[in-house]
Amino acid sequence: MTATAAPPGVGDVDVATARHRPRPWRWLAGAVIGVLAAQLAWFVTHNDRFEWPVVAEHLFDPNVLAGLGTSVLLTVVAMLAGSVLGVLLALGQLAGFGPVRWTCTLYIGLFRGIPPLVQLLFWFNLAYLLPRLSIGVPFGPTFGSWSTNDLITPLTAALIGLTLHESAYMAEIVRAGILSVDPGQRDAAMAMGFTGGQTFLRVVLPQAMRVIIPPSGSQFISLLKGTSLVSVIAMTDLLHAVQVVYNQTYQIVPLLIVACFWYLVVVTALSFLQQRLERRFGRGQRTARGEWQA
Amino acid sequence: MTDGPVLSVRNIRRSFGEHAALDGVSLDVAQGEVVAVLGPSGSGKSTLVRCVHQLEPIDSGAMYLDGELLGYEHSAGGLRPLPPKRVAGQRRRMGMVFQQFQLFPHWTVARNVTEAQVRVHGRGREEADERTRELLARVGLTDKADAYSRQLSGGQQQRVAIARALATRPRIMLLDEPTSALDPELVDEVLTVIRDLAAAGLTMVIVTHEIAFALEVADRFVFMDRGRVVEQGPVADVLGDGRSDRLRTFLSRYTQQRGTAPETRARV
Repeated sequence: MTATAAPPGVGDVDVATARHRPRPWRWLAGAVIGVLAAQLAWFVTHNDRFEWPVVAEHLFDPNVLAGLGTSVLLTVVAMLAGSVLGVLLALGQLAGFGPVRWTCTLYIGLFRGIPPLVQLLFWFNLAYLLPRLSIGVPFGPTFGSWSTNDLITPLTAALIGLTLHESAYMAEIVRAGILSVDPGQRDAAMAMGFTGGQTFLRVVLPQAMRVIIPPSGSQFISLLKGTSLVSVIAMTDLLHAVQVVYNQTYQIVPLLIVACFWYLVVVTALSFLQQRLERRFGRGQRTARGEWQA
Repeated sequence: MTDGPVLSVRNIRRSFGEHAALDGVSLDVAQGEVVAVLGPSGSGKSTLVRCVHQLEPIDSGAMYLDGELLGYEHSAGGLRPLPPKRVAGQRRRMGMVFQQFQLFPHWTVARNVTEAQVRVHGRGREEADERTRELLARVGLTDKADAYSRQLSGGQQQRVAIARALATRPRIMLLDEPTSALDPELVDEVLTVIRDLAAAGLTMVIVTHEIAFALEVADRFVFMDRGRVVEQGPVADVLGDGRSDRLRTFLSRYTQQRGTAPETRARV
């Protein structure tokens, strides 16, 4: 190509002066959303069967709040214990020693495959299988022995069941996170003289957290909702607390709204926490929109 | 410290299945010496430095750092592998620079350089920070101390990686193709840093494709092919008449690619 005079018309335009392109589908979508939202608002405010005064009356009912406390406690403890156990299981699955790897894989297959409801019932009825629990040398002397029925209360059965179930899911999430880290990072850390433990805790795990956190947030939420199962072993969680009320008053819908409200409050609070964690572990990374996180 | 070589590699072998990546390699590196390891892709150069750094096990042979057996110890029951903590202790006395930099992306540049000094060598924060400042100045990146690695160019990342490896005052530096992952215009800034280290008398083993550079900074070359050391000697001899056909072929291919004979570039 050689430098010649520009053809006529070239250079007459500046795209900065262009106007927006008409977007009729966007206007339509906006209109549809607007109408639906108005309908929903009308339905919620003008339908007496919601019985909003009843909702307000029971929202801070001490029994409901106690149920909420139980649900949150179960969720937090099972999540923490399940995560620690999950990390160990993930490491076990990546271990070089076959029997350790197989055992962890078997554990995960077992506790991920059995419905949590069944697990709760099973642990609650452990006494049938093992009337007494004892600590001692295997096949040798025992140092202490307790009646299983004394140890397995609804609370411990719920904690054991939810923790074991959760740990199996967390193990897979953590394993995916570990595998997402470039093996060269491990080499570099080992090369600097870090021990295996330091390499994992300071270099591999912090980077794996970027992959681990989002699905863990979902796990936390499904665990919170999963605590509603513990009512089958006579634990008073949030759902059970409102059920007790509406079984007497028959105000089913307003009380379910009370339960929904609290579940959503906890989940929303968690989402904020998750965002902060993601930012914390995303340092040195570019966001999807191309901004640097620091 | 002994009068003998800093690093001694004796007849080591390393196989991946049928394929022998290292097929009986021996190498001595003296105090203050710079050894360039040359050879075509797949000749075992990278495997050699990875084995020396104990990132990969060797199948046979032995390696010594300052006369101390690497990775194994004599015990009552015979020769046994060292426990991981002692292997980590041996690695601390060597510095490694990787082709892909491998800075830790979740830490700032400064922390990348400081962390091992504090965690591994038990230096105080202030002393470590001081050394980090000194090293970042040495590689010309003082202003990047608070940046994260992904905000840096490849050349800058590799300079930080060199500073990081130097932080713990290693007895020997192993550089595994330090410029191979870099855009051509970024190669020189890294080579300049390495040149300075060589001039300062640091003992180094450099695996590289930059033949002209290798001939310039190295005291000795080692030419590898198919897992064996085919030829080695003072760098001047690479260009001499005694060289083997394989080395001659390797060098001529390089000359064709670059359009410059290594002879002329080497004198730069």
